[in-house]
This record gives sequence, C-alpha cells and structure tokens, in this order.
Amino acid sequence: MAFCKTVEYLYEALPLRPFQDWLIRVHMDRCPSCQARLLSREEARGLLIAPESVGDAGALWKRILSRTGGRAAESGRRPAQAVVRWRWAAVTALVLTVAAAGFWLLREVERPGFNVSAAGPAGRFEIAYVNVGGAPAQTFVYQPQGSDTVFVWAQKTP
Amino acid sequence: MDEREIIEGCLTGDPLSQRAMVEAYGNLVLSVALNVIGNRQDAEDVCQETFLQVFRRLDRYDRARSFKTWLLTIAYRRSLDMLRKKRRFKEFSERARFEPAVAGRGGNPHPADPEPLPSALLKKLSPRERTALTLWANEGCTAKDISAVLACSDSTARVYLFNARRKIKALLENDHGLLQNG
Repeated sequence: MAFCKTVEYLYEALPLRPFQDWLIRVHMDRCPSCQARLLSREEARGLLIAPESVGDAGALWKRILSRTGGRAAESGRRPAQAVVRWRWAAVTALVLTVAAAGFWLLREVERPGFNVSAAGPAGRFEIAYVNVGGAPAQTFVYQPQGSDTVFVWAQKTP
Repeated sequence: MDEREIIEGCLTGDPLSQRAMVEAYGNLVLSVALNVIGNRQDAEDVCQETFLQVFRRLDRYDRARSFKTWLLTIAYRRSLDMLRKKRRFKEFSERARFEPAVAGRGGNPHPADPEPLPSALLKKLSPRERTALTLWANEGCTAKDISAVLACSDSTARVYLFNARRKIKALLENDHGLLQNG
C-alpha cells in the first residue's frame, strides 16, 4: 500500500506522459489496490450514453438527405476525379507554355545578328580620327598600368 | 451488406449503401459525439457532418486501417470543432450580454435538449479524456485504437484513459462520501 502511494506520488509529481505510461504499465495496471481506485468498465457504461440508447439511425439518414437536398450525399470519388482532371489540365498547360517559350527563344537566338556574344574582345584598339565641331580634334589615349581599360580624351583643337 | 460492400457502394455514390452506412454506424457516431459534447442537438449536427465528410472523402480512406477507427477519428475531430465553436459563441455571448441589441437578436441557439444526456460528471474531464473513456467503455477499444482516433501516441492515450477513470472514480467516491456523511 505504501508502495502504491509512492507510485501515485511519482505519477503526480512528474507529469511526463511516457513516464506516467510506464508507471501505469509497470504497476497500476497490475496492482489490485490501484485498480480498485479506477472506474471499472461497467461503472463507466453507467455514466455514458451507449450506442443502443441514442435512438433511431433512420432519422439521421433523413436529416442527411434533407441537408443534401434529396440527391443523396455525393460520392467522394467525383470531386477527387475532378481534382485529378484539373491537375492534368494545369500540368499540360504548363508544359505547352514552356515548350512555346522555348521554341520562341530558340528562334530569336538563331536570328542573324542576335549572336552578339560571338564577337570576342578586341586585340587592338585603334581610332582613325576624331572630329569635334566638324574639325579634327586633339586626342589622348590613356591606359592605366595593369588594366585593360582604355580612356580616350578628345578636345577641340585650339 | 457487409462493410466492404457498403464502402464500395458509397464510393460509387449509391444512396442505398450510404443509407446502410448511416444505419450501421449512425448510433455509434452519435453516442461518441453525445458523450464528448454533452448536448443532443450539437451531437446530431456533428453526426450529420461526420457522415457527409465520410461520403465526400471516402476515396481517401486507407483500406489497411479499420474503417470504424477512421470514422470515429472524423467524428472526434468534428466534435472538437463543435466544442470550439460553442466556446467561441459562449465568449461572444458573454461579451454581448451588455449589448442587448446584439444579444437579443441571437436568442438561445440551443433550446432544451431532449434526453438522454451523459452524466454531468463527464464534464469534469477534458474532451480527449471523455473520448478515451467512451471508446474504452462502450466500444472496448484498446489504447492503440484510442491513440489512432485521438491522433496521439499509445502512451498518451493510456494516460488519458487512466486519468479519466481515476478522476471519475474519485468524484463518485466523494459524492458517495458526502451522501453518507450528509
């Protein structure tokens, strides 16, 4: 009895479900003294409503029919099939869109003059002449050390 | 019609099979809802909603599982939804008590409940504990079955059931003691 009290104290003191479950399985389910402090199945049935005493299930069916407007409750299969059909339609539309976009892109890329990336970096920088105000201008070309950047400065010839 | 035939029939939308399902399981679902909610009218609504949901989603039912457990899971969730709805309504009506114009319009949404109703003692339990106790006492469910309905572990279901049995027993003994002393 003292052991039961200890177990009960532990059960209350540590409200961790796995631990409580362990106490139930190891002791409380097997101990007649602890079982006597639990509601029996018969006692519980006396407090609960049993399925046999709830009444007529036919009335429930009438309620369901009236709720669905007499067309019976729709089967689960139909909405699911509709969902599947919509999914297929969406996937097909997506595939067609991607294919059309790909085709258009391919056609644009293959157009003459589109392939700008084919021109590589110039090996040599050359300016034949620069005109400012209709007259040849003075030009200065700078290239910083260790850089590929070229600055061109042009000014009107005094 | 056996269970498999009823399910197959319901999947094709056969009204006779649907009726057979309601007649086979209606009382079970209603008793669970009644024991969890404690109100006949709400329990009937839950029962109706449960079957409508079952008919709509029967294609999602996994045949490897017990149909009764699947059905009771839906009934339990619907009952919880109803309890939440009632709680929200109660909060609203408490707030609206000082606003007669609002409170007067709604009236009493739940007129006097026809009997039978479960014991008031059950109101001392949480909805999960009530469900566990109902399934154990009325349906002979094990902790594993209860855990499937409550969507929790076996351990948790066992603890809910144990707590429910212990609390009600203590309350009964207290009442008995009070009667004897009184």
